[in-house]
Amino acid sequence: MYNISYKRGFDPFLIILPLLIFGIGLLFLYSASRGMGEIKGINFMFRQVAWLAVSIVMLVVIINIDFRRILDWSYLFYVLIALALILILFIGGSRMGARRWLSFGWLTFQPSEFAKLAMILTLSYFLGNNRHSIRDIRTFLAALGITGLFCLLIFKEPDLGSAIALLPILFAILLCSETPMRFIIGTILAGLIASPLFWNFLKDYQKRRLLVFMNPNMDPLGAGYTVIQSKIAIGSGGLFGKGWTSGTQNQLNFLPERHTDFIFSVVGEEWGFAGSFLVILLFCLLIIRILSVASRSNDIYGRLIVSGVAAMISFQVIVNIAMAAGFMPVVGLPLPLISYGGSSLITTWLSLALVINVDMHRSVF
Amino acid sequence: MKIMIVFFFIALVICLFYIQCLQSYHYSELSKRNRIRLLPLIAPRGNIYDRNGKLLAGNRLAFDCAVIPQEFNVDDKGLSRLSGLLELSEADLKKKLKEDFVAPFIPLIIKKDIGKETAISISERSVDFPGLIIQTYPTRHYPNSNVAGHIAGYVGKISEEELDVLREYGYKPMDLVGRGGIEFYYDDYLKGESGGMQIEVDAKGRELRVLGIREPSKGRDITTTIDIELEAFIDSLLEEHNGAVVVMDAEDGEVIGLVSKPDFNPNIFVSSSGYRKVTDLLGRSDYPLVNRAISGTYPPGSVFKIVTASAALDSGSIKHDEQLDCKGSYALGYRTFSCWKKSGHKLQTMAEGIKNSCNVFFYKAGRKTGVDKIEHFAALYGFGSKSGIDLPYESEGIVPGRSWKKREKMEKWYEGDTVNYAIGQGYLLVTPIQIARMINALALEGQMISPFIVKKIGDIDVSGSHKSWLNISGGTFNVIKEGTRRAVEDDQGTAKHAGVPGIEIAGKTGTAQAGPAGTHAWFAGYSPAGRPKISLVVFLEYGGSGGDKPCKIAAKIFKKLKELDYL
Repeated sequence: MYNISYKRGFDPFLIILPLLIFGIGLLFLYSASRGMGEIKGINFMFRQVAWLAVSIVMLVVIINIDFRRILDWSYLFYVLIALALILILFIGGSRMGARRWLSFGWLTFQPSEFAKLAMILTLSYFLGNNRHSIRDIRTFLAALGITGLFCLLIFKEPDLGSAIALLPILFAILLCSETPMRFIIGTILAGLIASPLFWNFLKDYQKRRLLVFMNPNMDPLGAGYTVIQSKIAIGSGGLFGKGWTSGTQNQLNFLPERHTDFIFSVVGEEWGFAGSFLVILLFCLLIIRILSVASRSNDIYGRLIVSGVAAMISFQVIVNIAMAAGFMPVVGLPLPLISYGGSSLITTWLSLALVINVDMHRSVF
Repeated sequence: MKIMIVFFFIALVICLFYIQCLQSYHYSELSKRNRIRLLPLIAPRGNIYDRNGKLLAGNRLAFDCAVIPQEFNVDDKGLSRLSGLLELSEADLKKKLKEDFVAPFIPLIIKKDIGKETAISISERSVDFPGLIIQTYPTRHYPNSNVAGHIAGYVGKISEEELDVLREYGYKPMDLVGRGGIEFYYDDYLKGESGGMQIEVDAKGRELRVLGIREPSKGRDITTTIDIELEAFIDSLLEEHNGAVVVMDAEDGEVIGLVSKPDFNPNIFVSSSGYRKVTDLLGRSDYPLVNRAISGTYPPGSVFKIVTASAALDSGSIKHDEQLDCKGSYALGYRTFSCWKKSGHKLQTMAEGIKNSCNVFFYKAGRKTGVDKIEHFAALYGFGSKSGIDLPYESEGIVPGRSWKKREKMEKWYEGDTVNYAIGQGYLLVTPIQIARMINALALEGQMISPFIVKKIGDIDVSGSHKSWLNISGGTFNVIKEGTRRAVEDDQGTAKHAGVPGIEIAGKTGTAQAGPAGTHAWFAGYSPAGRPKISLVVFLEYGGSGGDKPCKIAAKIFKKLKELDYL
């Protein structure tokens, strides 16, 4: 079902830009975890570099397999992740009332991260295969169902952020597959109309977070604390910041979750607007580079994969930064390549590997 | 899709520009407030001393036992040992730990003011109680407890209303302010200037380093004219009697002794267990917090005859050798006013009338003199106005007269009122300190001296009192002084129990009708009679006859004054 392909060179910036971003992330991971290393007994930087090494090995392996062969395995991948997500509801490691981890000895991993990848592959494969019946509502509903199952399972953990993060992937791939706009717009409208009903399914802490977003001072020491402190950190950074490892909000422990979801606050505090701008600029360049892979690829599967990856990364970057700066409610989403965490890092690198793969295996007729 | 994503990134940059560049000052301030704590350093108040440098009020270190909930990790066995050390039941301890919890890093006080010994023994076992801390701070201490409590006064935490008024004068929340006595009157000098420490803290409130410090400066010490030994002695003489005693240096106005009963222990206002005692104190019907010597107003009774005599003699209404007859009672219209001696005193001169404290003599003398003159002389002797002693809440008392009665009672003045007035009854109300000033003016033959109680603030001498002369002839004083001398020295003298062999004493008693509950008893005198050094007033609330207990107490005080070298 696929054509003969040639290995070609790929855009080197697809490696250089993520490495730059990762490097900056490492600097701030060091700054953020300076005080924690002794307490938790974990050297965050060491672990993060180890995850990078694992990621790079996986990347090298993946770019040497034609992505079309990988796609053949996508349904199996989808089923495995679905099983993991079900398993997690029963035996998952819990933290702050949420079950999000599966542990294998010292190794823990977060299936919801890999679910994004599985989604990209499965949707691309499915919609690519059905590209001739793309105007059929059943194709559209099936795509919706593929996403909906994951959304539901992840939402049950509960992990609202990761569940919502699947939606932009779906919409990007739908758009790219030339699904009729009326289906997409209809779905969005239906979602908006149903959202008040959705409120009742939220956990108390999720409702509180949304309310606190409207007014953080409602609960300044509880749910609003993180947002307030994070906003103070970013705002007090000013134009050039307080200097690396000199952020008082960071170093004096006022910022919770500052090595994971709120690491951007540390960047904003210690490097100021200049640093924030630099990070956003690098991400923006990366996304542009990724999207240009899609536009020069003449393979429908490849284009779908690449647009899914672009949507996944940009959605996480935008939501994470907007949340840290207090422009969005707090949903637990990591900042790709910067936040500490193996699952997120590997997922991001694997998705980049797919993009490189698509770039390398452009098909010819 | 590319356009949409780039648009979002640009929006993000604009939002960040807004908070990081345009609002950065606001957030910088918030971040400073986060990490910098101001710890007040409480300034100790100045000490209060007696005239010989003995302490009336000072400072001691108080120790509070507190825990930092975050670090406090003690099992049940540890808790029971802790409750033993603190003498606090285990249930109470657990309740406190649960109910007083504010935040994991904010110290939670489990027992206030635990005393030095307990504090030390807990500190020695600190390894067993992680997270347990002892907080120290200076607090007020009154080593003499009840003795001189009215003079020293007491302190309390500043209230919100007080703070609103006093903030401009440098008072801060949680400051101690004087509430009575010298603590109140001289609060400006006694209170020190609080210092503070700027401390950098982390999110748990742990202190990391000191950014700046301003040392507190102690308040100024105050030296009073009081003799604490005399004070304690008088206190023991009064025993269970309610009343007041004033001992004053006749020549310069220094108040050497000032006692008011019932009294209170000023320590309870700052001790942790004192709250209930304070409530009890405030609820008592005999008002122990009122300093009767300066704030209590009473009818003076016969002590006032000195004023009537001055008015009668000086106005010429009665000649010094003129004799008036006492048959035991005096009829005015259909009313009969009796003398305390039923058989009467027969014919007497003014000096004899004073010695005998004959009522009939003074009824007649008073009517001859008239109410206006008595009122005028009462005011001259300082009644109806404050003595000016440097203590708070002094009363003025009441000096009645024709216009006073018209104004206050809407009635005209009757001759019967004059008759009562002449022997110090009726509407007249005076304070013991006013009586002391009057008897002192008699002793000095017309020199009015206002009493004072503080002689030094820090090293600065603030002694010295307002002195003035009464426009009364020397002859008048001679006659009255003769009468007061004989009242003590004669076998028949009404104040004979005040006499002490070897000490020249002159004085006048008073027994004032005070409703159905009985009579107030007075003695006012001075010594030595010839060249007075000391004036003394003893007042007993419902103390019976002035010639009895007050005189006996006065005699003991004069004896003690001799011992202490004041006479």
